[in-house]
This record gives sequence, structure tokens and C-alpha cells, in this order.
Amino acid sequence: MPAKGYVEILVDTCKGCGLCVANCPTQCLALKQDDTNVYGYHYSYMADPEKCIACMNCAVMCPDSVITVYKKKS
Amino acid sequence: MGEIRFMKGNEALAEAAIRAGMQGYFGYPITPQSEVIEYLAAQEPNHDYTLLQAESEVASINMLYGGAAAGARVMTTTSSPGYSLMQEGVSYIACAELPCVVANVARGGPGLGTIQPGQGDYFQAVKGGGHGDYKQIVLAPNSVQEMVDHTILAFDLADKYRTPVLILSDGAIGQMMEKVELPEPVHYKQDKPWATTGKTKDRERNYITSLYIQSDDMEKKNIALQKKFRKIEENEIRYEEYMVDDAEVIITAYGVTSRTSKKIVDLARESGMKMGLHRPITLWPFPADRISELADRDNVKAFLSIEMSAGQMVEDVRLAVNGKKPTYFYGRTGGIIPTPEEVLAYVKEQIG
Repeated sequence: MPAKGYVEILVDTCKGCGLCVANCPTQCLALKQDDTNVYGYHYSYMADPEKCIACMNCAVMCPDSVITVYKKKS
Repeated sequence: MGEIRFMKGNEALAEAAIRAGMQGYFGYPITPQSEVIEYLAAQEPNHDYTLLQAESEVASINMLYGGAAAGARVMTTTSSPGYSLMQEGVSYIACAELPCVVANVARGGPGLGTIQPGQGDYFQAVKGGGHGDYKQIVLAPNSVQEMVDHTILAFDLADKYRTPVLILSDGAIGQMMEKVELPEPVHYKQDKPWATTGKTKDRERNYITSLYIQSDDMEKKNIALQKKFRKIEENEIRYEEYMVDDAEVIITAYGVTSRTSKKIVDLARESGMKMGLHRPITLWPFPADRISELADRDNVKAFLSIEMSAGQMVEDVRLAVNGKKPTYFYGRTGGIIPTPEEVLAYVKEQIG
């Protein structure tokens, strides 16, 4: 099934707290273990983009408002 | 009622410093504290303070020494490895009796460590990481609001006692976003007759040093310093307590672990175990008398220190309890915050 949404993450303001990862119902997001942002944090990224259902849980949860979710037109 | 904003701990600390009338900031970026210097750099055009990114932490603490000697309200912030580099300067400033504020947004150590929160800097902060007999006031905020309140308090205490004041925060409080109420800006007016601002005709020259070649003079200086430290111990002890009145097990925790500890107390009480929380706000002077008083109570059976270290504050708790009741310790290191569930499991297994 193709992805229903796209998650945009402002990499350099992400502090790697992992709340979005914990609250993603489809395990679409993960913390990037092999790269860091300017602060040295493992930032969140779409590990499995196909799984996104555009529920916006991640964006609502993010304490630093670094996430924007785009819904694909069906 | 002050202005209400939704801010990150580090930004709140920076904003509070501006509102406290800070005149100079000398710092060096290090995660998880970098937002302080970023925020101050962005705000610099709108305010009247000097901001300088030094070439290292050693340089920034010595710039603080100079700024403080000239009577200015000065501050630096850093994280654990940077604070280690500053120790020599802190010892000099303490001996020269100059007011300044240092914030350590601690991370996991030792060495370069991790960039996640840690509390392994307790010994360094409280026992004096630098050389010689000196003490510094250590404040431990546990919320973004307290990052603001403690920064303003730190500037006042520093000026009052002419001593360096350390804000020992941690990466979790620094990176956390919460609602804060910001106070009105202080119109700080410099009134320091001892400051080295240039000799005028009507007074002798001011002289600030930490060098006393003659042993007699050095001892006199030490006696005077100790007298000042005793005075601080008498007047400046601060702590907060939660449900200790009928508690059988008292948790001692500071900083971010005091917030998990509050949850532990609530969960324990739900399951019928009477727990309470004693949270030192000033780590030096340490509320030892209060802990000793709690240890004397018949209903108190044990103490438990919860930290993000391998056991540092627990030593001060043991000294205060003085063998009257057993003192346990639970800690995680490496930037991991203990969860209420794992602490409760430990409590059930060890204390019962």
C-alpha cells in the first residue's frame, strides 16, 4: 500500500527524545542511529516511509514542534 | 503576573539572565547547553550586554573573573566536560571573592561521555572540583520555571555573598519545553565599591587577588572565607518536601530525578506503601540538619537516594542520617533516567 502521508522533520531542532517514535502507531519513524544533527543528537526520520498513515500523532506529540505532516491527495 | 511563554529550559535560563540585568556573557557552545548562547546571540541587538564566544571554557571562566572584578553581573554556561575545564578559574574566583554565575547543564560522563542528561557532576559541584578550601552555592532546578527563578536568585546570592554560584541543571531540564512565567526585568544598578573600575582621588586603589605569598596572610584569608561559608550555611539552605509527614521510606533526589521520584511516591502510595520525597534545592549548603531530623522520626524506616550517577549525593545523605536508619541507593548512568517502575521493583525487593 502506498504511503498516505509524508513527515517532514526539522533535523537540526530535533533533540532525539524519541516521543514521536514511541507514539507512531505504524512504526514508520525511528531515530537515525548512524547520523547526528548539529547538536550531536540522533534525530528522528522516516525509516519506513510506506507505513505513514498521516495520523499526525508525531506532530502533536513533538515537544519542540519540529514535525510537519503532509497528507497525500487520494 | 509576569509574561507567560512556552520555552525550552536553556532558553528560559538565557531569558532570565537578560531579565536579571546580566552585563556580560562569555561562553562556549556544548550540547546540551548550546541553546543558551544561541538565544543570547539572537537577543543581543535588543539588549545592553556583551556577548562573547570564547576560544575555550578555560578562557570563558577567566573572562568571567575579569568581568566580575570590574563589578559587572557576568555569567557563563557549559556542560560537564566544559565545567571540568573551568575548575581552576572557579577556585581563583572563590578566593578573590567575586560574584558570578555559572550554569552546568550536566550530561553523562566520565570523559567526553554522552550528550544525554546526567548527575555525575555532584561531587565536582558540591565538594569543590577546584583546588583549595572553597565552597560555592549550588542550586539544582527541576523545572523550566526553576531555571528562570534560580538564575535570578543566583545573581542575587552571588552579589550578596561575593561568591560564585553554580546552577547544576541537567540535559533533561535544559532540553525540556514547559510553560514559564517570566518576571519583570530587574533594573540592576551596579553598586560595588570594591570593584576595580579605576582609582578615583577620594579613595585608595582597589586590589583583587587570589595570591597570598605569606602563610599568615593566606591563613587569614582562609579563616575569613570559612566564616563566610558558615554564614551561607546558616542562611541559604533550601529544600522541598512531598508527603513526608507519615512517610516510612523517604526518597532523596534532586534535579530531574526528583520529578520521577514524585511519580514513584504516588505509585507507592497507591499500592499502600507510605513514601515521601525530600528534594534538596541547594546542594551546597546541603539540608543535612533537616535530613537528620527526619531520620530521628519513629515512623521513618529507611532512606533511598535516587540519582543519575553511580552514587554521589547518597554519601551526603548517609552523613546526615549518620547511621540512624539504613540508606539505600538506586542509580542509572550513561544518560538514562530511572523509570518509576524499575525503582519500585528495587524498593519492593530491597526494602519491602
